[in-house]
Amino acid sequence: MTAIVQGVFGLGQAEREAKLLPALAELTEHHRDHCEPYDRILGSLGHVRGAGFDSVEQVPWLPVRMFKHHVLKSVPDDEVFKVLTSSGTTGAEVSRIYLDKEAAADQPRYLGRTLQAVLGEKRLPMLMVDTIGIIKNRRSFSARGAGVLGMANFGRKHIYALDENDQPDVEAIKGFLAAHGDEPFLIFGFTFMVWQYLYEVAREHELDLSNGILIHSGGWKKLVDRAVDNAEFRRRFAKDTGLTRIHNYYGMVEQLGTVFVEGPSGNSLYCPDFADVVIRDPETWAEQPVGVPGVIEVVSTVPRSYPGHVLLTEDLGVVHGIDDGDWPGKRFSVLGRLPRAEARGCSDTFSGGGAA
Amino acid sequence: MSKVQQRFPAGPDVEVAGLVAELSGEPAGGRLKVGDERVVDFLVKFARKLLAPAIARRYPELASLGFFLRRGEIAKALSTMDTRGDALRFPRGLVFHVPPANVDTIFVYSWALSALAGNPNVVRISSRSAGAAETVIEALNEALAEAHPIIAQTQRMVTYGHDDAVTAALSAACELRVIWGGDRSVTELRKHPLAPNARDLTFPDRASFAAISVAGWLAATPEQRRDAVIGFYNDSYWFDQAACSSPRTLFWVGDDAAARVGREEFRTLLGEVVASKHFVVEPAMAVQKRVSAYGVAAQGHATEIRFDGNAVATLELVDPSAVPREWLGVGTFPQAALTSLAEFANIVQRKDQTLSTFGFSRDELVDFAHTVAGRGIDRIVPFGSALSFAAVWDGYDLLSEFSRLTTVSV
Repeated sequence: MTAIVQGVFGLGQAEREAKLLPALAELTEHHRDHCEPYDRILGSLGHVRGAGFDSVEQVPWLPVRMFKHHVLKSVPDDEVFKVLTSSGTTGAEVSRIYLDKEAAADQPRYLGRTLQAVLGEKRLPMLMVDTIGIIKNRRSFSARGAGVLGMANFGRKHIYALDENDQPDVEAIKGFLAAHGDEPFLIFGFTFMVWQYLYEVAREHELDLSNGILIHSGGWKKLVDRAVDNAEFRRRFAKDTGLTRIHNYYGMVEQLGTVFVEGPSGNSLYCPDFADVVIRDPETWAEQPVGVPGVIEVVSTVPRSYPGHVLLTEDLGVVHGIDDGDWPGKRFSVLGRLPRAEARGCSDTFSGGGAA
Repeated sequence: MSKVQQRFPAGPDVEVAGLVAELSGEPAGGRLKVGDERVVDFLVKFARKLLAPAIARRYPELASLGFFLRRGEIAKALSTMDTRGDALRFPRGLVFHVPPANVDTIFVYSWALSALAGNPNVVRISSRSAGAAETVIEALNEALAEAHPIIAQTQRMVTYGHDDAVTAALSAACELRVIWGGDRSVTELRKHPLAPNARDLTFPDRASFAAISVAGWLAATPEQRRDAVIGFYNDSYWFDQAACSSPRTLFWVGDDAAARVGREEFRTLLGEVVASKHFVVEPAMAVQKRVSAYGVAAQGHATEIRFDGNAVATLELVDPSAVPREWLGVGTFPQAALTSLAEFANIVQRKDQTLSTFGFSRDELVDFAHTVAGRGIDRIVPFGSALSFAAVWDGYDLLSEFSRLTTVSV
């Protein structure tokens, strides 16, 4: 496994920045050449064309929400192969991410190389902690469905842990474990679903998940009520089901193909070699020192069909250390979301869910 | 089935049908008249509570409301209702007010003027109301103890959830429905029919601007310039620059070269004022400002964006006619140079409400108003007064809207 890990999680911070900087400068120029709105934004901020960067921190960023309000793409209309949309919580606002054929092919490739670090090269039997309905029902095809479908490629012999009525299908899970539980197998799901539908069912039925490798994402907000954070999640899974190979990951549709993966010892996310994070001070927007929380900027050389290579997220995070963890580079955690800016305007009698 | 929570007068939840019946009946002690003394007394007592130092310090906007409702101010407003010739003025009838959730005080102005016109009123108070609005309701209930019982009989403020049945019943019962809160609210409320004789008074989304006369700026003393910037700060930073009257784009009118010098000075002064007021921009708002400002640039409408910290952002507009009319986040100021106010008149749309000004003569402003000729811009006010409510609002003389005329000729 180490050799593969070296392939994607191999670069120390200095080496990483040295590789990323020219690539980011090239990408910035590429997007300025091919995405006029992006060029206008950078121009209005006084960024000079062709200027290189001395650090990743210097590369101009876009707020991720820009993709909800504007068409930002670096490919001509007739080369748009696929448009990805994010799931807005209210459905009112979705990001639109434009991919050409090449970008659509690149994304799973990068994602695959990243996940190989924890899964190995062989495709493993896969337990999906979701309902088959999520991908069957094409009409309500959601970001969750897309996530499930995208991830399904990394396993084989898929079994869904929920039936079509979203109820845990205990027999199906038991059947899967009877067939594959003695060898390494892959478990995938959204964090709160994994907790609610797999952990609780596995504990109740004393299922043995000790050969599993769990990949999960989606955030901890829905688990706050249950007082479950990452450490508790890992502790309880290990204690009650034997599952210890757990990898949370962080990623977003606006930078699909790039995921930041939790290392084997837990509680820190790592950047693949083609990516980085910058935690910014929300007052000065300069990079925060290690240990000081701020707003997460995600950096990746993957986005070529739209200017999404440097994005300021609306998540808060903190870098715990650099080149001092399971894998080289920065290791960080996501701490939660920035609250939404709400204006005390006149025009809102009906906003916020009705005449309340 | 369809109950409402009684906030003023405070009381148990009631059926909307019962509420309507009570308001439609003949009150003990006789109906209210235009400028009824019983209402004036109540409002004056209420105003005194708002002007109490503890409240006025905590909520400056309530102090403004308190001033608006002093006896002298009320008398001045009522004097505009005097009629001439054959006309006699009477109350309009039951008025249903739907104020916005987030501007805490506008419902009080709307209601108070309608009460002064002698109407029974129902005001829907948002369940999200907080802070100043809660204080207002407390003060109203306290003032009620010393008021004539007709106030409690005819004036109601209620809260209810997303219950179309209540909105429908109140809409069907009223003579006038007053809808604040923007285009969406107006559209939503209009789904509920009014009685044939009734009508809506609507306050849809508006956009507001500021203009500085370059000549006026040059002629001003340093103190006057500083005061202007303080006024501009109050106009724009209160309510997070999101009120209908909050100025957003700032126009410099006159000589372009002199305007550039003035702009730098204005910017420095504004930074100083913002710092002295300890105005804090939350990270989410700071991001919102970037999203909005970058958006204007992405559309090709701005050539230069500058951020002085999170508190002050300016955008140089390419073309003043492509002025953004949407909210961009607190402390975000598109700027453009104009040769004259007449040039601004060409840009004005019906949606445009307030023009806050500095350094123009009265004649210049009156000329401008004649040039626009009512096609937009309902108020022209000096810096510092953008948010001051007046009995003439959005082009309507509210007391006149809240009353009706009967003519007698023999």
